Amino acid sequence: MANKIILEVDNLTKYFNTPGGLLHAVDGISFKLEEGKTLGVVGESGCGKSTTGRTILKLLQPTSGKIIFDGEDITSYGMKKMRRLRQEMQMIFQDPFSSLDPRQNVMQLISEPIIEHKLLKGRAAIEKRTRELMDIVGLAQRYVNVYPHELDGGRRQRIGIARALAVDPKLIVCDEPVSALDVSIQAQVLNLLKELQREYGLTYIFITHDLSVVKYFSDDIAVMYLGQMVEKAPSDLLFQKPTHPYTKALLSAIPIPTVGKERPQRQLIKGEITSPVNLPDECRFNKRCDFAHDICKKGNPSLKEIAPGHFVACSRVDEFVG
Amino acid sequence: MADLVLDIKDLVVHYETEDADVHAVNGISFQLGKKTTLGLVGETGAGKTTTALSILNLVPNPPGKIKSGSIVLDGVDVLKLSQEELEKVRGNDVAMIFQDPMTALNPVMTVGEQIAESVELHEKVSKQEAMERAKEMLRLVGIAENRAYDYPHQFSGGMKQRVVIAIALACNPKLLIADEPTTALDVTIQAQVLELMKNLIREYDMSMILITHDLGVVAEICDDVAVVYAGRIVEIGTADDIFNHTHHPYTEGLFDSLPNLKERGEELQPIKGLMPDPSNLPPGCSFAPRCPYATDACSKKVPELRPVGGTSSSKHMVACDAYDDPKFCLRRNKDGK
Repeated sequence: MANKIILEVDNLTKYFNTPGGLLHAVDGISFKLEEGKTLGVVGESGCGKSTTGRTILKLLQPTSGKIIFDGEDITSYGMKKMRRLRQEMQMIFQDPFSSLDPRQNVMQLISEPIIEHKLLKGRAAIEKRTRELMDIVGLAQRYVNVYPHELDGGRRQRIGIARALAVDPKLIVCDEPVSALDVSIQAQVLNLLKELQREYGLTYIFITHDLSVVKYFSDDIAVMYLGQMVEKAPSDLLFQKPTHPYTKALLSAIPIPTVGKERPQRQLIKGEITSPVNLPDECRFNKRCDFAHDICKKGNPSLKEIAPGHFVACSRVDEFVG
Repeated sequence: MADLVLDIKDLVVHYETEDADVHAVNGISFQLGKKTTLGLVGETGAGKTTTALSILNLVPNPPGKIKSGSIVLDGVDVLKLSQEELEKVRGNDVAMIFQDPMTALNPVMTVGEQIAESVELHEKVSKQEAMERAKEMLRLVGIAENRAYDYPHQFSGGMKQRVVIAIALACNPKLLIADEPTTALDVTIQAQVLELMKNLIREYDMSMILITHDLGVVAEICDDVAVVYAGRIVEIGTADDIFNHTHHPYTEGLFDSLPNLKERGEELQPIKGLMPDPSNLPPGCSFAPRCPYATDACSKKVPELRPVGGTSSSKHMVACDAYDDPKFCLRRNKDGK
């Protein structure tokens, strides 16, 4: 392998105790991520994709499993030990409206992480770096004294990106970074993120529900359903040869913006995502799956490599591939 | 024409506040035929929702004010009706579905009661009959009857949107206005709800105005499409016209901004800049400052909608003065796509 592994996640779980029972938010996720690459994590609301992102950054303490970042096992690190690592792992949030302090102006917002992590000394140096960051993310200098409410969503998201970049991170978890933006602005922000990746060799975990965005953006894509990965493959392969019935349904549900030409037949899945509380030991998708058999009720399938880099968790996968 | 459900002419709506006069809708005209679905496409702040609210005369006043124009619904000008007359139209002839099903429902009434309420208001029926009808509507949108006695919080987002659709359709409206009906839903649920809406519209011979920013949803369900920018229609036509014979630079920009599922291009081509501030619109064509084809002439005169002709349908119109030059052609059409 050419690139070094920057992040390794092994059998990661995060359970929450709820009055109704144990909620399996993340249930046995494993993957390796190379430096400079992007892993796209897709799934519907409640599949555990955001919890996965937050647990990896140790914003939530994992229930079990291992997180190895840059060769260091950080699973049991407490707040103090994580502080140093926060510089290297950052997060960009979905909602640029609620993730910025409304009482701080752009200068304060972007310089905050620089001051917090004591990266630079002296006002002049901090201000210089802040202005530099504004240039990098494409925020005009005239906005330096402006407050978030005066800016539109795209510019606010640029502040969020500048804050993440301020500490020179290696890994950025992007949690639905463009979902709240209009398409034309969405494209601007996606281009910016891609450019920054090339420039600074950033590694991204890109969490989204939007499959067209994830395809454009990711090297590998992991599809999640009820806290588990059901399929993982290189981006192009996943779209060419989706194998898990859920992935297939998810792909065919995307409304395609073409008229009159090769419109594939829709494959609707019945029902809705079931509750992640007290899950039985069976395939989690079997109740909605058109291909469910008796075998699907016997045990929860784990990921199996069906082609180099292409993993599927389905009890009947051999029949589909064969 | 007898086949029109809705005929809007020169609609102008402003929001007048102390600080500014926001020009939300600046002369929108379109017609909607029977059994037709029109997609109103545009970005945040383009004036889509304001246009839709005007049809029911629901623009919040103050600060909103319908300055001029006419909205003829089935032969009657809605803007000239009294409050009482309007109330008969709302829910009966025209129903509206809002984006967020979580806030559109009353949390302290069972969903059955909420559907029945709308039936009782518009038709002379007993409470029992209304409830029966409510259950029938629930079945129609794919929810088990016995759930009529449940409260909204007991339903998921997709189910709530189905309930909202049931309420909207309970009185058999001629026109359904759906404002981003699937935006808050997951893709697989969105696909289910779109399928349901498509079938119901056909079954009930309804017309629909679908407001959305998602060109994929438009392709899925709409017969006609109007692209709105800064309170004006910049291009209108059949779905085939808009998707396959795109003529306005803004429409082209919208398509170029979408990540392509088929091939993974290196870079998206976003429209540069931002939507203009509707309280301070640029002179001439509002899109000119962001338009890659713009010339000096574009900022002098507001372009009128003109027929496209050629291979397009007779409905296809575009508001762009670059077509004064008969040789003008968008990049998208040059590549022979």
